[in-house]
Amino acid sequence: MRNPLTVLRRRLPGGRDARTDGGTASAAQESESFLDRDSVRSAPFWLPPTLLVGVFVYGAIGWNVLLSLTDFTGLGNPDYSSLDFENYVIAFQGGTPAWSDLTVDPIWNSFQNTVVLVVGFAAVCLVLGLLLAILVDQEIRFENTFRTIYLLPMSLSFVVTAKFWLYMYNPQTGLINIALGAVGIGPVEIVQNPDLKLAAIAFALVWQFSGYAMVVYLAGLRAIPDSHFEAARVDGASTVKMYWRIIIPQLRTATVSALVVLTVFALKAFDFLFSMYGYQPGPSADILATRMVREAYSNGNWAYGSAIAVVLFLMALAIVSPYIYSQYKRGAL
Amino acid sequence: MTAQDGDSGVSRRRVLQGAGVAAVAGLAGCGGSGDSDSGIELLHAWSDGDGNAAIGALIEGFQEAHPDVSFAEEPVNGAARSNLDQVIQNRLQSSNPPSTFQTWPGETLQKFGDAYADIEGDVWNDDLKNNYLAGPKKQAQLDGTYVTVPLNIHRINNLFYNKNVLDSAGVDPSSLSSPSDVVDACATISQETDAVPFAHQTSGAWSTVQLWETILLAEGGIGGYQSFIEGNGNRSSVKAALDSVVELSEYYPSDASSIGFTEANTMVMDGDAAFIHQGDWAAGAYSGDDSFNYGDQWGQVTYPGTSGSYLLNMDSFPYLANNPTPEDTKTFLSYCGSAEGQVLFNKEKGSIPPRSDADVSQLNQFQQDQYEDFNNAENQPPSIQHGLAVPPGVATNIGSAFSGFLENYDAGATADALIDAFN
Repeated sequence: MRNPLTVLRRRLPGGRDARTDGGTASAAQESESFLDRDSVRSAPFWLPPTLLVGVFVYGAIGWNVLLSLTDFTGLGNPDYSSLDFENYVIAFQGGTPAWSDLTVDPIWNSFQNTVVLVVGFAAVCLVLGLLLAILVDQEIRFENTFRTIYLLPMSLSFVVTAKFWLYMYNPQTGLINIALGAVGIGPVEIVQNPDLKLAAIAFALVWQFSGYAMVVYLAGLRAIPDSHFEAARVDGASTVKMYWRIIIPQLRTATVSALVVLTVFALKAFDFLFSMYGYQPGPSADILATRMVREAYSNGNWAYGSAIAVVLFLMALAIVSPYIYSQYKRGAL
Repeated sequence: MTAQDGDSGVSRRRVLQGAGVAAVAGLAGCGGSGDSDSGIELLHAWSDGDGNAAIGALIEGFQEAHPDVSFAEEPVNGAARSNLDQVIQNRLQSSNPPSTFQTWPGETLQKFGDAYADIEGDVWNDDLKNNYLAGPKKQAQLDGTYVTVPLNIHRINNLFYNKNVLDSAGVDPSSLSSPSDVVDACATISQETDAVPFAHQTSGAWSTVQLWETILLAEGGIGGYQSFIEGNGNRSSVKAALDSVVELSEYYPSDASSIGFTEANTMVMDGDAAFIHQGDWAAGAYSGDDSFNYGDQWGQVTYPGTSGSYLLNMDSFPYLANNPTPEDTKTFLSYCGSAEGQVLFNKEKGSIPPRSDADVSQLNQFQQDQYEDFNNAENQPPSIQHGLAVPPGVATNIGSAFSGFLENYDAGATADALIDAFN
């Protein structure tokens, strides 16, 4: 089908007439070359989605940033005429903001919990995922079955897994304490224990997402030619050495892409915490996402909630952008 | 263009036109709601259980009394009260308020403060004013203006017990007269029986907040309680109440942090636990079990030390300014303020009518006893946990303080946090 832009250009005054002498360069020709560009000619295909994403994703992010500079609370409309960074000062230093009679605590506690959760969860999840992938890769029987079993928890919603782990951690009847009891420990109070709370959440998330890490690694392992394994064997490498020196270094891309997805999941672990504890997970498990929702929806402090959302967004960006940049450098984007 | 290839060309254009029309119609549909002809729009979160039966009974009664007024009741799906608040927030933000919605009265009203309108005279006439007790009447007002109609009362300062367990432990619940007596009774129960003395859940903070507020009412008296909710709390009585909770926590089920209210309450029903402190919705679960009857298998006492007070948790329907159905809404709210409507509602809900002149003979024996207590109560203080006593921001701070308390049971630090919650 004919490009509508080509048709349009034909109809423009001063359009192209066939000239036996080849014609002369003119302004009209320059505009023609603009319309001839691939990017312009393909505009009907990329422009609408770009606009939609621009408005609904980046526009919303921009609006959120703008909102975080206002004093918007409660009902009504935000006042965009006086913008300042007060919410960020409050977020990092605490104090009594202009929009509230109450003192507002800084976000350091939930910030710290978020970082600990993300780092701990992602690291354990990757290691476990890698081990599972290596095991499943040994051409065992029922490989598909195992793969499905490991991946299945990921398909469950956070709400389900949170309630499920509440039972698992039960000091009387929970499987975790029964297992601990079998080796002579416990019973241990876990769910409201300040020393174990965050670790327990990370553990449950690892259970849910290590299957995902396994699948990513498995794809990575399958992409490594058998000759690498064979060559290492011929050269007399032990199994551990072979994986450590030859195989794992080749899984860099798989690691990075799994890491990005896992950390972003951990940043958003709000639903898990909310299903387990409600609005108040307690000081040792409060993450930025729960704090944000509490400020916005319990207290109606919309602008302050937005400021926390911006911090969360920047954290996600800090994780994703090096990945995107490295992909770009390698020409993989 | 030619007739020959017109076939496909035209149809494609038609398709595009059709899609365009559909899209425009769809967009128009988004903005075109809120037609006032459709009847009273009541948003609530009672989408199942006793709440759903109660609201159904209320609306049925209303429609019999006022067949001319139409109704478009809408439960907010999957709703907890917090979802409902978000829906209301969005509706108010877009200047499209419903006729009324389910909300806690009292300080919770501050959340949508400017959105309410005065209904003194129209709804809050002399009949209502004369027949509501002082406590509920105060909760119906926002800064001195009547804006909402409370239609039920759940009591918070209850101590429910399993009779068989107490009998085998030799504990007489009516002899308990202070919070420390409850702790002593728990000690006896744990010595004499295998049952858990005090069923309680700690995965969420709310049960512990309402337990603490009840004990605060006992330790500080009505005066101490009032000054706390006004922001001038006495740290020593706040801490004394927390200490009592810490002592009680020794007698919780060992898996308190992994269970919910339903499981804790079931322990009492099964004879695995002796006491539970809860709002009287706990009794709603008992009435569903034919082998667990009031007076025979279970009983209730006013939480020791709080006699003379009826700690209020209420639901109410407020009047929103800019109302889509102003007259019909007022008619409905007046019905909610009538003894007839309140009895219909509370019969199903398990709570009691806020009006002191209701004919409660249709309610069950436990409700009748509670109602008698209510009418004889000298004070009807508002609940902190259930949004009546403190503004939302303070309530969040109190919730935060208790989420920390559940981790470490540090009464001193929590007392400081609770006093600070108002600053």
